[in-house]
Amino acid sequence: MRNSWIEEFWQLVLIVLGGIILGLLIGYLWQVLTLFLLGYIFRNLYNLQRLIHWLNDPAGVDIPVHFGIWGTIYARVKRMRSGHHRRERRLTDLLGQFQSSAAALPDVTVVLGPQGEIRWFNDAAKTLLKLQSPQDIGRPLVNLFRAPELIGYLDGADFSRPLDIAAPGDNQRKLSVRVTAYGEGEKLLIAQDVTDRYLAEQIRKDFVGNVSHELRTPLTVISGFVENLQLASEQIPKHMARPLELIGEQVARMRSIVEDLLLLMRLETASREVPKERVDIPELINLIGQDGRALADGRLHFEIDIRADLCVEGDAGLLRSAFTNLVVNAIHHTPEDGSVTLSWFLDGDKGVFSVTDTGEGIAPEHIPRLTERFYRVDVGRSRERGGTGLGLALVKHVLQKHGAFLEVESTVGVGSRFSCVFPKEFLIE
Amino acid sequence: MDKSEISHHYSQQFNTDLEEIKSNVLAMGGLVEQQLEKAIEALRLTEIEHAEEVVANDYKVNAFDVDIDERCTKILALRQPTASDLRLVLTVIKTTADLERIGDEAKRVARMAIRNGATDPGRNLYLRIEHLGNQVRDMLHRALDSFARMDVEEAIAVAHEDRKIDREYESIMRQSMTYMMEDPRSIPLLMDIIWSARALERVGDRCCNICEYVIYFVKGKDVRHTSLEQIQKEFSEQDFS
Repeated sequence: MRNSWIEEFWQLVLIVLGGIILGLLIGYLWQVLTLFLLGYIFRNLYNLQRLIHWLNDPAGVDIPVHFGIWGTIYARVKRMRSGHHRRERRLTDLLGQFQSSAAALPDVTVVLGPQGEIRWFNDAAKTLLKLQSPQDIGRPLVNLFRAPELIGYLDGADFSRPLDIAAPGDNQRKLSVRVTAYGEGEKLLIAQDVTDRYLAEQIRKDFVGNVSHELRTPLTVISGFVENLQLASEQIPKHMARPLELIGEQVARMRSIVEDLLLLMRLETASREVPKERVDIPELINLIGQDGRALADGRLHFEIDIRADLCVEGDAGLLRSAFTNLVVNAIHHTPEDGSVTLSWFLDGDKGVFSVTDTGEGIAPEHIPRLTERFYRVDVGRSRERGGTGLGLALVKHVLQKHGAFLEVESTVGVGSRFSCVFPKEFLIE
Repeated sequence: MDKSEISHHYSQQFNTDLEEIKSNVLAMGGLVEQQLEKAIEALRLTEIEHAEEVVANDYKVNAFDVDIDERCTKILALRQPTASDLRLVLTVIKTTADLERIGDEAKRVARMAIRNGATDPGRNLYLRIEHLGNQVRDMLHRALDSFARMDVEEAIAVAHEDRKIDREYESIMRQSMTYMMEDPRSIPLLMDIIWSARALERVGDRCCNICEYVIYFVKGKDVRHTSLEQIQKEFSEQDFS
């Protein structure tokens, strides 16, 4: 900076000296000096104009003036400009890279604005959602992806679970949609193609359903004939009586497994709705209690503790099956002189039905897997008692239909408590 | 979205109202698409439950119809829209009416599925209806897409599909009549099949109407009673011949 001022100074000195010398030479000192100084001023004005012109030209690379202050100004501005250009290019490159990697994501990705309008979408969205660029930018997504479930999902604020839905215009393709809200009302929608998973589920369900159906008839036939043979007991040789009895028991067991499987299938595939009747829980518990006492047969203490007079909205038959399963389990797992207690009470705003026993308890590692089909904690003993292994799976599904869930607490050697928790919405006075 | 589709207004509320009725119509369209799909699936798989859902949900379609008409009436009364805004409101009103009718046809098909439960006529015939059903579903979807995008080219293309549907319908009729002559006992069932095919064919006609409304909105010209060739000549760059 100091150099350029010095340059400028010497330039001015030269002009003044030149003016004085020429002025003295031709005898008009002050006029010539004034002329020269005016010249200097005009030249500076001219340079100002050139600077403005140069600034207006975005591609300006050549610096018109290198000398003095003007030179310094030009050099500085040029440096600033190329610095800006560089940064801009870097950002554009970065943005471009990001967009191409996001565009290449295999999952459908759509950025939505506060009104649900499409701000950006990737290639997968083009293919699976049939979105078009650039026409669809700014359009509400639900104008093109019109499924009522999606509209409801986006309107609600609860994105904790993904939404499984068919792709627009192609209902063989199933998508699992997740939405994340961020920024100022913006939403990120990501959808995965889960057609394969869906098909596999279908095949599994069909297989189980078909097998169960096919087994039903032969088993009914065998069971019928076993009964007939047992009725004609006088004609059966003595040594065949016991084998026949065992055959009967095993066939009965197979039939109950098949029936349980079919019931589970029905629960899984039927629509969400459960018949909305008013189920009197205290009455139901008393009924089950009677059956339970009969089953316990005096072996253990049986108690019923009803503390709330609440009913539940749902299907009486299914709830009875579910509760009975729990009670029977408790009775089977409790040794002599132990106790089983059935309670129904209000915990906060939730209704709870629990079966508590003083049985052998369940080790913590088994608890998360209890409701799996055919899962057994102790394989040998359970089979011997004739259990199907499907009881808890059934309980879980029935509770799900009623908006409720199962809670299991247990300590080995002390006992267990199985609780059915019904949220407020399903309780009636 | 192209600003020329809904002209800018000093009143932001007006803009919002117009956007809203458009979105409402498309939401109704989504519901009707789903109803139609379930009805056709029920027919194909003889699944009573889906069919019953369709019948049960018809009230939602009607509720949409009433709601959208109300909104449009309000806009006409309060804002007295002109030019393209007026055309938009009129297009929405007409499209809503057609969608409601399509909903009724879907209900009809669903009722048929319930009535015929597990009986299985000619495999062949049901396959033909399924084919017709899929074509109609596709047509409805594309018609609504063309409405969402105000895409004249697509609207014309979709309107063109109606010919295929009419041909398919005619061939189902012929086949049914042949079966009826062969075995008079099958007549009740075949009558039901003909009714379903007719319902589907009518849905196709309604989709055509919706496309005509789209063309009306964009081009400002009423093409409802113009032949397809005429429309193509005037508005389309594509050659369908």
